This record gives sequence, structure tokens and C-alpha cells, in this order.
Amino acid sequence: MELTTKAYKQTAKKAIADPILQSALAGLQSRLGPATASLYENLPEGPDLRAKAHAYRRKAVDNLDIMLVTLAGKIRENGGEVHFAATAKDAVDICLDIAEKNNVKHVVKGKSMVTEEIGLNRALMDKGIEVNETDLGEYIIQLAGEKPSHIVAPAVHKTRKEVGELFTEKLGTPYTDDPPTLTRDARQALRKKFMAADMGISGCNLACAETGHITTVSNEGNIRMATTLPRVHVAFMGMERIAANLEEHQAILRLMSMGAAAQQIGGYVSYIGGPAAVDHADGPQAFHLVIVDNGRSRILADEEFREMLCCIRCGACLNVCPVYGKIGGHSYGSAYTGPVGAVVTPLLGGINEASHLCQGESLCGACRVACPLNLNLPRMLLALRAKLSEGDPRWNVKPKSRPEKMLFQVWSRINQNRKVYDILLKLGRLIQKIMPSSNHMIRRLPWPFSGWTQSRDMKPLAGKTFMELWKEHQGGRS
Amino acid sequence: MDPEKQFINTIKTALGRPGNQPPADLFTTSPSQEEKTLLEKIRTRTHQERVPLIEQLRQTVPSLHMDLHLEAGIEEAARAIGRLILEKEPEWGTSKSVVCWDHPLINQLKLSEVAELGQIPIHNTGYDGTDPQRKKEIRSQVEASFIGITSADYCIAATATLAMKTRPGHARSVSLVPSIHVAVVREEQLLADLRELYTLLKWDEAERKEGLTRNLTLISGPSKTADIELVMVHGAHGPRELHLFIIAAD
Repeated sequence: MELTTKAYKQTAKKAIADPILQSALAGLQSRLGPATASLYENLPEGPDLRAKAHAYRRKAVDNLDIMLVTLAGKIRENGGEVHFAATAKDAVDICLDIAEKNNVKHVVKGKSMVTEEIGLNRALMDKGIEVNETDLGEYIIQLAGEKPSHIVAPAVHKTRKEVGELFTEKLGTPYTDDPPTLTRDARQALRKKFMAADMGISGCNLACAETGHITTVSNEGNIRMATTLPRVHVAFMGMERIAANLEEHQAILRLMSMGAAAQQIGGYVSYIGGPAAVDHADGPQAFHLVIVDNGRSRILADEEFREMLCCIRCGACLNVCPVYGKIGGHSYGSAYTGPVGAVVTPLLGGINEASHLCQGESLCGACRVACPLNLNLPRMLLALRAKLSEGDPRWNVKPKSRPEKMLFQVWSRINQNRKVYDILLKLGRLIQKIMPSSNHMIRRLPWPFSGWTQSRDMKPLAGKTFMELWKEHQGGRS
Repeated sequence: MDPEKQFINTIKTALGRPGNQPPADLFTTSPSQEEKTLLEKIRTRTHQERVPLIEQLRQTVPSLHMDLHLEAGIEEAARAIGRLILEKEPEWGTSKSVVCWDHPLINQLKLSEVAELGQIPIHNTGYDGTDPQRKKEIRSQVEASFIGITSADYCIAATATLAMKTRPGHARSVSLVPSIHVAVVREEQLLADLRELYTLLKWDEAERKEGLTRNLTLISGPSKTADIELVMVHGAHGPRELHLFIIAAD
């Protein structure tokens, strides 16, 4: 996974200063956040469904070996092929191999987070294969050479004017900033691509082990196009994206639609269990499912983070997060943005490498409330922060800041020794007299504490401690 | 070791699984009492009990940008679809053609015998699995058609969802590639909500026997997108319009 999380602060600063992006993010959050919340309140099965669905996901993850073996068996029975990829490279190689064997020149893709994660497009293009993203948002950012900034609305950061200019430049269409006309221009351009494609690539929102199907969800119909018209369909699935049986699957699927786009159910939901049968008039002749680990088994092995594998990537947490709502998706520096990205990117891409992400979130808990499965993201953010402060060889985490750690160790010693504490307290009272202050507040602290007073004043130490006051009032009585 | 075994072993290790004993409740083996009751309710539903379902459907379709047509019988439906074919303009090019599923209900419409349609070709996607040339022909007819006519297994009132399994003759692209999708179902195929659909798919004997097939698609409304400044636009890649025809019970 290509990470640009090191640039977190700069990218965030730029995003905050961009009034157009700010209004787009505010619009997105004000529309989707409350709409999703109100659907949760009116669940036909009652609000318990979310807790149940969490348990369903957990059950599937806790029995992932059986889930995947069952799924693979059924798909093979139906004439599909199943591949297991331990790493991103394995997954990419499997796809390249299928492409070569089938003499593939043109690929159309449905939106898939896991193919972003493994960098599939670049690898296909390096082999001279034409790859077209077909989700309108993904298509826009592919034309612009950018990265998705939202899981469900990847081009939310682009204005209609920018899209208009982009289409004029890349598609040669007359300039317009009218979304219906722009959509029609993309529809026309991509229709040709769909008809000519040899291979369609999709993700998998949630597989169902018992029936042996993957499920894809879209509103545009692009995934149906990509999985119906080309002769080969390759689906990529993060290994955890599975439910045990149909009744559990449908509950999770409906909650996902609510979280993703405030819908009862996505516009197009397809259960795909293999290639088209020989007597079927259309559909792909070959179906390949690539199941990807790429760091997920390490998350599975750690009880602290296993809950993260229950995530269904609906993006509901993005639509309520106050941090995402200001800094936008690009600051997160990977395919996974927002609160989900702040947990999943460090776990997949390296905790030290993506340390800004887990430290940047506010821990306000809005993501947990918005999550259709009530995943406890704040708990996991804290766990990641603990790893950064303490270090953890199992995750190859080096303590983030040694001086900070030492400082706290010294602080802990001081707190354990009353005499030293009192001496330092007296010293502090003397020193604070020479600090710049006004209105009985300290305005500025010297380095290395200057950060603390950068945007706030500090209350000075009181003239007497509670213990001293206690002694005076009690007159020494105990 | 082959990659698959290694992959599964990695998971087993991560799970700290000592043996191979899965918990008993992973896959359900019999319907609950509640599900049995629901199945019975669906099976014995009368015309009178479907009236509120139609009312609910009527309330749901506008928000999904669907058009609902209630027809008294097959002939009425055929005439209404004929009018639609005449009224609507093709999106690509100027000539009109229509493609239909090879399906008992759709065949009963006998659209090719509707005189007003004159020279407009009405193709169907009947295929016996032997002639690849015919498959190519179907594909090009689907691409050329501006209206695609299908039936569905079920229509769900609460969400205006059409459920379609894949079967010979029922080409998947008919509900996808033409600019206008016309779906025709009988009133008896109405279900109240998604829970009823899934209960049937899971426990109804005939459904169980057939399975979900290689491709089960649920369609709720025409194709749509809000990817440019969150403005809702219909007809992103799939059909721009979806006309749902419900034929009243005899």
C-alpha cells in the first residue's frame, strides 16, 4: 500500500484552508450523517439488529478458516476458480497471470478498496493493459490522476467546474458544469469501454459462505456491467469480508447500505456464485475469486484489533467524523480514509509509518455511534497510541518519542516522592513569576513546553497546595 | 505446501484454533418458528391482503425514480408497453428496437403481434446453449435495443426491489444495458419486505432446491449516481428509467 501519511499535517493544513473542499465536506456530512442515523432508529427488527450484526461479523471472523473453505468449495462446485493470496504481490500476480492466459487487453473495474490497497491498476497498466475505473467518482479521479478521498464518494473533493474542465481536456467533450450532462458524457465514454472489455474486475462487499456467493453493491450499475459483459470476471475480496449464512448476510448487507448511502438497500445488489452456465445467454465464461490476506492475519491474531476485521467499509464513520470533516480524505494518505483509515492503515501499512493518523483523531466517539455495527474505533485508536508510546515488537513498533517517554518516567518518579514533589512545586512557583502573563494566566511557556501555550493560556500554580491548606485549617489535628 | 493450505493454516494459527471443531451454529439447518409462520403467511396471502402491499409500493416508487403501472390483465399490459415503445425516444442512434426475456409471462404479451409497433424489431434472448454464434447475436441485439423487458422472481413492496435469479433465456443484460428497463410481474409475486424475500430464498423448498443460482440480482430503481457534488442523476451506466408493470390477479 502506498502511504503518504507522513504528509498528514501539510495535506490537512491545505485542506482546512480550501473553502470549496470545506463546503463539500460539510455538505456530505450534513446530508448523510443524520439520514443514516434516522434509518438506524427505524430498523424493522429494532435497534438490537446492530448489536446482533456485530456478533454475526465476529462469529464469521472467529471462524474464518471454515468460512473461506466453505465459500471456496461452493464456488468451485459452480465452475468458478478460487485463489488465495498471502500478500499484495501474490494477489497482483494472480490477476496478471489470468489476464495473460486470457489474452486480456482491456479491463473495466468496479470500485474496490482492496485493489487500491494492492496497487492493481498500476501493475496491469505496466503490462500494457488498458484499465478503466467505471464508478463515476473513481473514473473522475482516475482521469485526474488523483487518489480517492472518500470510500463511497471518491471524488467528493472535486467541484463540477473541475470535472467539466477535466472532461473537456481528457474526453474532448464541450465544457459544461451541469452534473447530468457530465454524467451523460461519462456514460457515453464508458459504455464503449464496457462493450469492448475482455475482463471485468470487482471487489466484494460481503461474501456468504453457506450459499457460496460474493456480493457486489452499486447504485450506478457499473459493477453489474463489469461483471456481466466481459468474458472474464475477477473478483477481489479482503479475506475477512464474509458472513456465515444468508439471514446474517442480509442483515449486515442492509446495515451496510444504510451506513454507506442512507439507503434501505443499494440500488443493485448481485450475488455472484460462479461463471455463467453454458446454456445462459450472457454473463462471463470464467469467474475467478482472489482472496487476499496482505496483513489481515496479523490483525486476526491480535485480540486487541480483531474487531477491526468486522468492518465492512461502508464509510459511515467518515460522514460524522469531525476530523475527517475538516481535513478531508487525502490527508489520510491511503485508500482507507477517515476513522476507519486511522485504524486500518496503521495496522496494514505500519503503525509507526502511519502514526499521524491515530494521533490525529479526536476520540470523540462519533464514529462508534455512526458505525452500523457499533465497532469501537476509539478503543482501537487508543490501543494504537499505547503501542506508539510503549513500542511493541510483535507489530515492529518503535516508541514514537523517547524524550516524551522519559519525561513521563521522570514525572512518575516525582509523583512517588512527596519531598521531591514539594521542592519542585516551590521551584515552579518561583519560576512562573518570570513567565509572561496577563489576567492571572500564563501566556507563554518556554521550550519544550511552548506547544502547550501556543493556542491557550495556562493557569498558574496556586500559592498553596491542598495539603498545605488542609494543615492550616485543621491546625495539625488529624 | 500449496498457497491455499498455507493461507488457511495461517488463519488457523492466528485464531489459535486447537482442533477443527466448528461451533454448531455457523450454518442454520432448520427454520425458526417465526420463519415458518412467515412462510405460511406468504403462501396463503390473498388478493385482499395484497392491496396494502400495492399501496406501499405506490408510496415507495417515487423516491426511487421508478414508474409504476397497474394493469388489469396481460392484454392491457401489452398495450401499455406498446405505447411506451412508441412514445419513448432511443438514447443512442435513431432506430428503435426492443429486447425481451424468453419467459412465459413476457411471451404472453405477444409484443411482436401488436400492430402499432409495425417495423420495430422485438428480439428475445432465448438460447439453448449450443450455438455460440447465437450468443453473439443476442449480445448485439441487447446493445442495440433501447428498451429491455424482463420479468422477475419477486417484487418487494417496501423497497420496490425486483429479485431476479439467472436462468436460461433470461439474459442478465436485458435489465442493464438498454436505456429503459420494463419489468412485468404478476400481483401474486409481490412480497411485503426484504425479510420475506430472504426467508423464502432460505427456506422455501423450491427456492432451496434451485439455490441462489450463479447470479441473483436485486434491483431497486434505475441506475443512479451522486458522484458530482452530490447531485442525484439517473442513468449513470444502467437504465435511466425503470417501468414496473403489475398485472392484477384474475
